Amino acid sequence: MPAKTRRSRMELVFDILEAIQNRGGQIKPTHLMYKSNLSHKLLTNYLQELTQKEMVEVREYQQKKTVNKMVHITEKGLGFVEEYRKMREFTSAFGL
Amino acid sequence: MFTLFQTPQWFAGFDLLFDTITLLIALLITAYSYKLYKLSDENKFFYFSVAFALMSVGFLFKLGTYLTIYSPASQYAAAVTIVKVTNSQGIGSIFRNLLYRAGYFVQMASMLGSWLLLFFVSQKGRDRLNKMHERSQILLSIYLITLIAVVSTFEYRIFYLTSLVLLALIVLHLYENHRLRRSQNSKKVLLAFLLLLAAQISFAFIFIVPELYIVGELLTLAGFGTIAATYIAIQQKTKQMANSEVLR
Repeated sequence: MPAKTRRSRMELVFDILEAIQNRGGQIKPTHLMYKSNLSHKLLTNYLQELTQKEMVEVREYQQKKTVNKMVHITEKGLGFVEEYRKMREFTSAFGL
Repeated sequence: MFTLFQTPQWFAGFDLLFDTITLLIALLITAYSYKLYKLSDENKFFYFSVAFALMSVGFLFKLGTYLTIYSPASQYAAAVTIVKVTNSQGIGSIFRNLLYRAGYFVQMASMLGSWLLLFFVSQKGRDRLNKMHERSQILLSIYLITLIAVVSTFEYRIFYLTSLVLLALIVLHLYENHRLRRSQNSKKVLLAFLLLLAAQISFAFIFIVPELYIVGELLTLAGFGTIAATYIAIQQKTKQMANSEVLR
């Protein structure tokens, strides 16, 4: 079985944002953890950073007696996803 | 007036137009690669940007040199300036040739530097370019490029043959890349550099058929046009992907 290469910081950020985008722009943190293949601690750190950079918003919802959280992607986050995809395509085309 | 080779008179001016277009495309890729470098902080994009910036410098100096050759007014201005600077009409003619040679030298050195840098970027371990042994390789390459460029101002075929060799290595890498990726864009980039390679072959044989200069210019324009088309396709493709995500 070939060894998996370690994802770079940018790749991790892209994976997180893409996972949110693929779920219609919002996702539960637990689902995000599985979709982006990150540990809870690592995801929490990244979400904090992305929130500070205004790429995502974490909102709380009252559902009966429980409070649920949802992670939303912002316009800035969507812009990053688009730019990253262009970069990936450019890299692939020119063999960089 | 000093020229490297004879070109069809009727084509004078058209080559300047073609070179202006290729210059603009090279500048576009330079700017976009630099943008990617600022976004990702990866050295490979910086080196790629520098490679296309060198290409732009090459085309700029080619435009300047050929404009001076084609324009009697520019030739007169250059001659008058040189006579004033050297304070002698006799020495002025030597310095006038030197001026043209300097223009050709910068053009050739920049283009060779660009191809060489693209070749380096295509190799693995490009992020290690800070280490001492790789710095010495770069210094050696700069020396060889300078030497080739100087000699090429006396024998232009050496420049085109060297460019041919470097481009062949780049095309080989792009072929392997396309075999791996199998995408339309990688195919276009491979085609673009194949066209540039073919252009060098055309230029190398101008001494037999001067009209091959026109073929070379057209191939160069086609090559850069294909690079521009690839860039546009990348921009549009990712935009379409983004729109389809929004509609989901």
